[in-house]
Amino acid sequence: MSLDSSQMKTLFRNLVRSYHYDQMMYRRITTGQLVGFYHPGEGAMAPGVAAGSFLNEDDILSPHHRGHGQAHMLSKGIDLKYFLAEHTGKSTGCCQGRSSFHFSFPEQGVHMSTGFIGLVFTPAVGWGWACKRRNSGQVVMLCTGDGSYGQGRAHESMLYAANWKLPIIFWCENNGMAIHSTAEDMHPTADISSLAAGYDIPAVVVDGQDVFACAEAALAAIERARSGKGPTFIECKVLRFKEHDVGTPDLAGYAPRSEELHEEMRKREPVALATERVLAESLFSQDEIDTIHDEAKAEVAAAEQFADESPVAMPSEEELMAAVYAP
Amino acid sequence: MREITLIEAIQEAIREEMHLDEQVFMVGQDIRGSIFPHTKGLVEEFGEERIVDTPLAESGMYGLAMGAAMEGYRPIVDFMFAGFTYVTFSEVSVATGQHYFLHGGQKPMPIVITAGTGSGVRLANDHSMAVHGTLFHQPGWKVAMPSTPYDAKGLFKAAIRENNPVFIPWHFQLMMERGEVPEEDYIVPFGVADVKREGSDVTVLANSLQLKNALEVAEKLEGEISVEVIDPRSFEPFDMDTLLKSLEKTNRLVLVDEDWEKGGYVSTIAARVIEQGFDLLDAPIKRVTFPNMPIPGGHMEPTIMPSPDKIEAAVREVCA
Repeated sequence: MSLDSSQMKTLFRNLVRSYHYDQMMYRRITTGQLVGFYHPGEGAMAPGVAAGSFLNEDDILSPHHRGHGQAHMLSKGIDLKYFLAEHTGKSTGCCQGRSSFHFSFPEQGVHMSTGFIGLVFTPAVGWGWACKRRNSGQVVMLCTGDGSYGQGRAHESMLYAANWKLPIIFWCENNGMAIHSTAEDMHPTADISSLAAGYDIPAVVVDGQDVFACAEAALAAIERARSGKGPTFIECKVLRFKEHDVGTPDLAGYAPRSEELHEEMRKREPVALATERVLAESLFSQDEIDTIHDEAKAEVAAAEQFADESPVAMPSEEELMAAVYAP
Repeated sequence: MREITLIEAIQEAIREEMHLDEQVFMVGQDIRGSIFPHTKGLVEEFGEERIVDTPLAESGMYGLAMGAAMEGYRPIVDFMFAGFTYVTFSEVSVATGQHYFLHGGQKPMPIVITAGTGSGVRLANDHSMAVHGTLFHQPGWKVAMPSTPYDAKGLFKAAIRENNPVFIPWHFQLMMERGEVPEEDYIVPFGVADVKREGSDVTVLANSLQLKNALEVAEKLEGEISVEVIDPRSFEPFDMDTLLKSLEKTNRLVLVDEDWEKGGYVSTIAARVIEQGFDLLDAPIKRVTFPNMPIPGGHMEPTIMPSPDKIEAAVREVCA
């Protein structure tokens, strides 16, 4: 499905914004200004932008831990200042500062996040079931990595989705790495998406460094799901520039990843690739691109200011006990 | 008043609540064909959309309920046998029970899990294990178990209307137990224990099949030992006031539970009694539970599980 110029401009802006949010998070975790982990998204933000940019407000989005889902969420229109406030333990956070990195924006279709990798495959069955029962044309964009497809839950989810033609997009961002373990060691086939064949789910493999290629695949899958034709599996072959999470060594298996590998990866930096393309197609001038970067930096700075000026969430034990059960 | 069985009372509660609220639906395996009688006829009445049979994939089955609850539905999940919840326990215990609190109280998780439970039916470990104590341990869950048909209807209706996850199993050996059940709408609220029989020498806390056993013992000992019998009806929330009030009178306590001795809900109740009512006790608390072994198959259970004989021995011991 080919993109029009307005769609390409949206994708480019969201990619630049994602890049600056990721850089900010990396800076903050390394300077002790975040609660919890940070799993750097550098080099790997294009698929999230593509997955989120063309969803409707009532569509359901399940981001993942890489870049803590910022690319997905900001592209869907979620204001990340509440995410950052949550990630800094502030009372203005999306979950009242209780969750560290377990963000949720249920009114905007992001129901949950979990540290149990791949657990989201099972509630996704319910999200898809609810969309189908309502016949509302809503879709579920279920974004996970290659490692999560080791879970039996992934297979159960594909079974239900295929069986009942649920509007779920299995969006696999395959960076070939789960912490240090390589997909080559942990998965029997070159493509994770080959699993989809067992459930008769159509599968596509795309270049995860190319935000436009990812978006073309996303749009086709979204349309297919919306029109009741059922699930699609999209595998974005993507790169992870940094270590798994800040503080762990940058290994493949048990050997450090080489300088040569990093140099090769950097040649495929997604913002640089997208910039070349928008310049070549005269969608933006260099001045306009500079402005997009400046606006993104200003947006990130405003989010930081909001989080930093918010009070630390420190409810009493009694207040927390009163929050365990819903009224 | 008309009498119906406990399993019919459960069905009546489900049917009435499904008529009252379109968002209520049921999901399980072979519930349309009905493995147990409480789902018989439901698919004909409510259609396949609201009585959902799933593949033999419990995580996806439970996940369906979980995701649907996040989307505003009110699922009842039937696990057939309570032990099967362990197949998808991270969804049940962690992801469901802790969802509301962790995500800042944005959306409730109105899920009901039901299933048959209980030892003494020669089905061995996986089909017999008690799960109520394990979920009692998990923050965010409410846990109840009916002992009578009347309570079954009222507790199930309360469970379905509850905005929090509720685990409410029923005991196999009480399935066909008959009792008076009003035809009208009523609920039995959680956290309100029922003093089934008043007494002055010893308090026995028991539920479900073991409540029946405790009442049998109380009757047998009438004239010799005056036994007060309390049914907690729900474990979380637990009605501590009724128990402590009873102990003010009896000063002796026997706790009965079909769960294992280690870490069962009655262990927590015993600890709370010591913390909140130590001065009320004239004798050590005695627990009658399943010993800490896998539940065996074959013919061995009656000699191992809690029974009237064991409850009587415990009552005599604390009253000696």
